[in-house]
Amino acid sequence: MINNSSLVGYVHSTFKRTINIHCVEDGELYTIASRQIDNGPNTLVIHSDSLEELNIDLNDPVVVKNTELLISNKLTIPIDRTKLWESILPEFPTNAEKAKKNLMRMKEYIDFHGKAGGMKKNIAAQSLYGTEMSKMLEERTRLLLHELLKIRMANGLHHAVSLIGLGPGLTPSGDDFLVGLFTMMNVRESPLYSHQSFCTEVVEKAKTLTNEISYMALKKASVGKVRESIIQLVNSVFYGEERDLNPSLNKVLNIGSSSGTDIALGLVCGLEANLKIGGQL
Amino acid sequence: MTVQAIVKPNTYFDSVSLMSLSTKANQIEGVEQAIIAMATEMNKEVMKNVGLLTSVVEEAKSSDLVIVVNAATEELCENAFIMIDELFTKKNTSTSKSKVKYSTISSAAESIPDANLAVIAVNGAYAPREARKALENNLHVMMFSDNVSIEDEIELKKLAHEKGLLMMGPDCGTAIIGNVALCFANAVRKGSIGIVGASGTGSQEVSVRIHEFGGGISQMIGTGGRDLKEEVGGIMMLDGIKALEEDEATKVIVLISKPPAPSVEEKVLAIIKQCTKPVVVWFVGGNEEKVKQAGGHFAKMSKEAALKAVLLAGADESKINKRALNIPLIEEVRTKLTPEQKYIRGLFSGGTLCDEAMHAAMEKFDNVYSNIQRDPNYRLNDKNVSQEHTFIDFGDDEFTQGKPHPMIDPSTRMARFIEEAKDPSVGVIVMDFVLGYGAHEDPVGAILPVIMEAKQNAEDEGRHLEIIGYVLGTELDPQSLEEQVEKLLAAGVTHASSSQNAGLLAREFVVKGE
Amino acid sequence: MSKINDLFNQKLNVINVGIESFKDDLLAQNAEVTHLEWTPPGRGNPELIAALDILEDSAVMKKIEAANKEAVERIINSKPVLIGFEKAIDCVPGMTKTTILHAGPPITWDKMNGPMRGAITGAIVFENLAKDLEEAEKLAASGEITFSPCHEHNCVGSMAGVTSASMYMHIVENKTYGNIAFTNLSEQLSKILRMGANDQSVIDRLNWMRDVFGPILSAAMKLNPNGIDLRLMLAQALHMGDECHNRNVAGTTLLIQALTPYILQTDFTIDQKREVFEFVASSDYFSGPTWMALAKCALDAAHGIENSTIVTTMARNGTEFGIRVSGLAGNTWFTGPAQKVIGPMFAGYKPEDSGLDIGDSAITETYGIGGFAMATAPAIVALVGGTIEDAIGYSTKMKEITTTENPNVTIPLLNFMGIPTGIDVRKVIQTGIMPIINTAIAHKEAGIGMIGAGITHPPVESFEKALLALSENIK
Repeated sequence: MINNSSLVGYVHSTFKRTINIHCVEDGELYTIASRQIDNGPNTLVIHSDSLEELNIDLNDPVVVKNTELLISNKLTIPIDRTKLWESILPEFPTNAEKAKKNLMRMKEYIDFHGKAGGMKKNIAAQSLYGTEMSKMLEERTRLLLHELLKIRMANGLHHAVSLIGLGPGLTPSGDDFLVGLFTMMNVRESPLYSHQSFCTEVVEKAKTLTNEISYMALKKASVGKVRESIIQLVNSVFYGEERDLNPSLNKVLNIGSSSGTDIALGLVCGLEANLKIGGQL
Repeated sequence: MTVQAIVKPNTYFDSVSLMSLSTKANQIEGVEQAIIAMATEMNKEVMKNVGLLTSVVEEAKSSDLVIVVNAATEELCENAFIMIDELFTKKNTSTSKSKVKYSTISSAAESIPDANLAVIAVNGAYAPREARKALENNLHVMMFSDNVSIEDEIELKKLAHEKGLLMMGPDCGTAIIGNVALCFANAVRKGSIGIVGASGTGSQEVSVRIHEFGGGISQMIGTGGRDLKEEVGGIMMLDGIKALEEDEATKVIVLISKPPAPSVEEKVLAIIKQCTKPVVVWFVGGNEEKVKQAGGHFAKMSKEAALKAVLLAGADESKINKRALNIPLIEEVRTKLTPEQKYIRGLFSGGTLCDEAMHAAMEKFDNVYSNIQRDPNYRLNDKNVSQEHTFIDFGDDEFTQGKPHPMIDPSTRMARFIEEAKDPSVGVIVMDFVLGYGAHEDPVGAILPVIMEAKQNAEDEGRHLEIIGYVLGTELDPQSLEEQVEKLLAAGVTHASSSQNAGLLAREFVVKGE
Repeated sequence: MSKINDLFNQKLNVINVGIESFKDDLLAQNAEVTHLEWTPPGRGNPELIAALDILEDSAVMKKIEAANKEAVERIINSKPVLIGFEKAIDCVPGMTKTTILHAGPPITWDKMNGPMRGAITGAIVFENLAKDLEEAEKLAASGEITFSPCHEHNCVGSMAGVTSASMYMHIVENKTYGNIAFTNLSEQLSKILRMGANDQSVIDRLNWMRDVFGPILSAAMKLNPNGIDLRLMLAQALHMGDECHNRNVAGTTLLIQALTPYILQTDFTIDQKREVFEFVASSDYFSGPTWMALAKCALDAAHGIENSTIVTTMARNGTEFGIRVSGLAGNTWFTGPAQKVIGPMFAGYKPEDSGLDIGDSAITETYGIGGFAMATAPAIVALVGGTIEDAIGYSTKMKEITTTENPNVTIPLLNFMGIPTGIDVRKVIQTGIMPIINTAIAHKEAGIGMIGAGITHPPVESFEKALLALSENIK
């Protein structure tokens, strides 16, 4: 993606293992990630363990020249040698038996190992705020699922939008949930695939409702562009055995703090809807 | 119960740290509830539902981080904020450097075994002493200080030479070592071209052009302006060339200086002959034949030097935009100027930039005056009064006594500009604006108001005032090159794309009746 | 491959001297950089810089380094041991019945300040040389009393340092080099002779110290054939939170603990012994003079080494501050005006009540404890008016002007760094860093006593004069 443009931008935010770059030309965020991070849309994974030591500062200028990407004079990445990675989701299985089984396993596993605090209810929520938050998340996802199953997309739109920006964390739980849901809605040959435009409609309303980093993830997910670990998980759910499922599910659960769990629950919701609409559940 | 909130605009923390902060914040004594979250509309709604939405939070944007604290008293809230702030900053303590302070180079060098270079920028009276200490402690030296006697310089350079160390300076303003810009230097790409320069802005200019042409700098060694004088004998330049010759990362060597003293020139040419790597030589106003005989590549001007260097380093010539002179523009400007408007006034903050433009003018005109003219007949009688074609280096000692360098403080040059702009015999005023580390944060912006005013006054008098501006910098510099250029263009200033082009354009604008 | 090529392949690690914004630019580029707290050497005085240059000539420097190495080795290797207590007249060299020793460099009666005069007139009355203070004053001014600095008699004296013939002295022997040092006994409390107080209560206490306290300590130590290893005890006290100048809680406990078995064995009455213990317990300062004698004992062993630029004495008489330097043998003093002491005052007193810096106690800093070991005593950071970081900062800063660390006496908080040892006149002038001294504050008027405690520095002149003399002497 970086390959074609002469991206000129500035450093938007820095973390231990990733740096986000705001591109002036298209307004999108691009990510430079250390090698512990999986491939993802708009993401360049470099062969380095930590980005912290580079002392890259916010608003450092970023330039692409000839075949190099330069961040100030602190980091030079030769991009002519990078391998292009493309986000491609698998097709919906014609035989959904495996998927059904895996769906149950996945739910159990998340129940047991998922991180509470976001979509997964924190039973021991200590504060009024926490309780209220879970309540709202729960209610709104229920309403959304309800409308999706009836294929009343116009009604669903309202509920989906009401999830954006809701929840703790850098990427609010509601957003993460939608990333998971959108992923499932972008699976070709799936019953919901024909309503994929729903995702882009939601995103159109998302811009001001959440922060830029989370918005980018939503925007990409709305057209089926998600991180490699999510794609792997979808693959395992559709076609894998239990021994394939658990490791790939674990990888997703480990994203962020509660983000991974929220994404996984979004996937569960989307899969459930797909199966039900397809009359298989 | 008191609810208070603070907003940290555009603050991003990774989720894991946010969560742990949030958990810790809730454990602070006296805190009923603490929320640390992104201020999205939905999160605000939740806060509203539980009665924790304050007006401060309401106004926060979704990219802002908010901290809301609910405690029994206002005081407890305040305390909590202080402690939460500590939690935030604690996260950063690992990167903060140790607080140990040192007073002498020796004690610092002793305690920091990895120290390898001393930058010395103290009053010239004390600088040699500090440099000696540094060399004795096996530190390479970059001496920014000026007003150091030539005897001290020779002694220090001999000591450094014996010990195999760099002694850059005195009066060395620019260097790039291991891709780190020292003092006044620009942020450029790392690459395979090594520079040894006796002139600060000359080296800056060539490094910036190399960067623009897609090349990069392996090392840029400064020698100080007197290194190639008879007395000093080019000690630093010779050692610098040797080091670059041995440096694996360097493929091409560029030398930049005023013409050396004859005996030194001989030494330099001799070493060029021995070099296995191509050597590009830009001696401002220097002699081409001798350099060629020694097997060097002669460049008459800065851009030419940079271009030769990148081509020798293997760049594809067809892909380089060489930025040829804009001939139609020259024609256009000539028609705007009246026959009386025939002189160039060059007002420079960079010495070599001044020198380069002056030499360009001297090729076509005899009556070129300057405060840095080598020929005493053409030295300005009064540095404050221009005559015919005049080029002023405001960085020269006589202008900087007791004042900051014009790259930092534009006031002296600004006052002179106002005078020159009023002179009806002036055809063009040419100025440089130096970006990079160490330089003024907005050099163009500082002088812009007087430029616009002068333009207006000239227009009112029915006279065209032609101004050429050259911005020395890269898009990686701390200042925005693009913004600086835009400011010039918006004020009707002709933008030159290089020091070389600035000099040539100025000259061509006022050439009459060819 | 030259060192220049090595540099090309290393990560840049810069020491930045002068313009601070260069440091910021380097940091912004991810280079390691250390900015020096730099001031022009010798306050920019060309004469001093020339003197420094002379001393830095490589041949001269070799001599100095060798001499200083020897000097600090002698300080470090000195093993001062407390071997007894005797009356000054019986042990101090050059002591006579009409001699009064005082703190600091030499001074005449007319130049003495309030506390010093108060102490001297009190001592004259105590020695029965005059019947009252008024007569004592006349006698002091008459020239019949011999005034001499403690330091010139192998002694040190805290505050006014006034030492007369019948006062009991610590006797400390340097088991390594054989020299002996003396100091008188702590009067405890605050309204005392050494602080300039001199009323009847003060004289009464001095009498008791002469008649009971001194003799008991003397008898006790006669029962202790090995003496008390003070250096070992000092190291322990530092580990227990003393810096052994202004905080002496631990040291006093250790010292009296070592003396107690022998005190009990003496033939004095139970009541008298009880009085001794109560007197010691009445103030933490009991061991203060002891550490001064230890320091004096070690530093005297390092005095008089040709070409050495190590400071062996810092002392004040309330009017002037004087130092002596090892390489300028004998009693060559370099002086400057005594400075103010800055620190917390007892209730009711104001800074303008303070007398100027006084006493030989800066011998502890000369040795490397006191203000130099501030990091060992976080409990008294109030003296430096600041935080524990400040206190630690003082100890690390003193490393800049000293020659080495004493491995026998260490600072736990600084990873068991040895105390900064061997103040080098050259380094003081070069860096402009003055030694830090912890000390007490006496009231400026005679007769009142201690009114606070704090920190002070020597006047830079004393070091400047010493440097010039060294540059003329060392060839």
